[in-house]
Amino acid sequence: MSRIRKQSEYEKTFAFRFFRWLGGEKDAFVGNMEMQPQKEYVEEEATIEERMKDRKQVIAEAYDDSHNMELRFFNVLYKIFSIVFCVALVFVLILTVSHLPAVGDPDRPTSNIVSETYITDGLKDTGAVNIVTGMILSYRAFDTFGETNVLFIATCCVMILLMIDEDEIKKNKESNDRGFEPKNDVILQVVARFLVPVIFLFGIYIILNGHISPGGGFSGGAMIGAGLILYVAAFGFEKTEKFFNEHVYKVVKVTALLCYGCIVTYYFLTGANGLECLIPLGEAGKILSGGITLPINIFVGSEVACTMYAFYALFRRGGL
Amino acid sequence: MAALEWIRFGLVVFFVLFGVTIFFLEIFGVYRFKFVLNRMQVAATGDTLGIGSCLVGLMIANGWNAASAKMAFVIVFLWLASPVSSHVIARLEYTTDDELLDNCRMVTVEEAEAEGDDENGDI
Repeated sequence: MSRIRKQSEYEKTFAFRFFRWLGGEKDAFVGNMEMQPQKEYVEEEATIEERMKDRKQVIAEAYDDSHNMELRFFNVLYKIFSIVFCVALVFVLILTVSHLPAVGDPDRPTSNIVSETYITDGLKDTGAVNIVTGMILSYRAFDTFGETNVLFIATCCVMILLMIDEDEIKKNKESNDRGFEPKNDVILQVVARFLVPVIFLFGIYIILNGHISPGGGFSGGAMIGAGLILYVAAFGFEKTEKFFNEHVYKVVKVTALLCYGCIVTYYFLTGANGLECLIPLGEAGKILSGGITLPINIFVGSEVACTMYAFYALFRRGGL
Repeated sequence: MAALEWIRFGLVVFFVLFGVTIFFLEIFGVYRFKFVLNRMQVAATGDTLGIGSCLVGLMIANGWNAASAKMAFVIVFLWLASPVSSHVIARLEYTTDDELLDNCRMVTVEEAEAEGDDENGDI
């Protein structure tokens, strides 16, 4: 019992709207939801002129290659060598890929004694029940030392770029919009007062249990850093500076890196020369065990926590 | 004991289905509502009530052990974190949006109580 409806009647039905949506004829969100279309980028004529002037000035004063034969020669050579270098790199990489062994090949060089030794002898050598932590902090402690250095250098670079002097802040108080954030939110403060100690405790637990259960310095340190950030967001920098200021930051960060370096150097020197290491391995599964794994976990954790907090503080107000 | 098992199964099904329904409403509402604070409120409701209900269902299904205790901690943490983060976002919207009062009406707590419970919904 089908009948053909009129077009005006059909337009009121759900099916009409559904097929219109399916065909993409009308966007259901246009006119209904708060949104702004992206503006087309229009460059002002003054900026274009300024740019052309700058370029002419640069060519005329710095790179005058119509009179400077040396520079012209260098430019040509630079292009040739960049092309040669790229082609050579592509060639080398493709050659390497073509010589890689097939996946799952039992004779491939990676399926050697190393991974088997890690699994069978890991507990005996490092004293850590968690094989992964024992591996990255004992067998490969040098590699992890590099990672910790990367964190240190990254924060140093961000400090160079974003750190603002106190005098500068006072001088430009009018143009500084960092003070206009919502502050002293009572709801956030009450929750933070309850959550921050729990987060700190959990982070410390993860760090200290790194050699027994999953976790370790990196994840636990990230947790402590998140707790610090929550505290700052709730209570502001003035309260945080009472227990975590620039001085504490410097001392913790440098001490952690130095101690890590010393421990790893000692461990590798004794291990490489067949000497007896004075750090006891302890009884596996106990909290005070795992040889160098536990202290290194603590140092890595403090390093990561400081890094996270430093990034947040530097990006938010340009200082620690 | 079979009856108890059936009751437990029924409770699990009820809580999980309730949570999934709330999730569905949340997604529907996030795309349906036109005003930003309405959308945010719907998202916060789904995150608290939906996840809480689903986790309660899973706790009943899992029985009385350590994993259930962890799920209870997850519920506590989510119920602390989700509403507070929504509150902070709403406050940021309130401080940054100049045209906010074109879209909604502002009342104090006393005025809202005077107007009665039935009108509190469309503040």
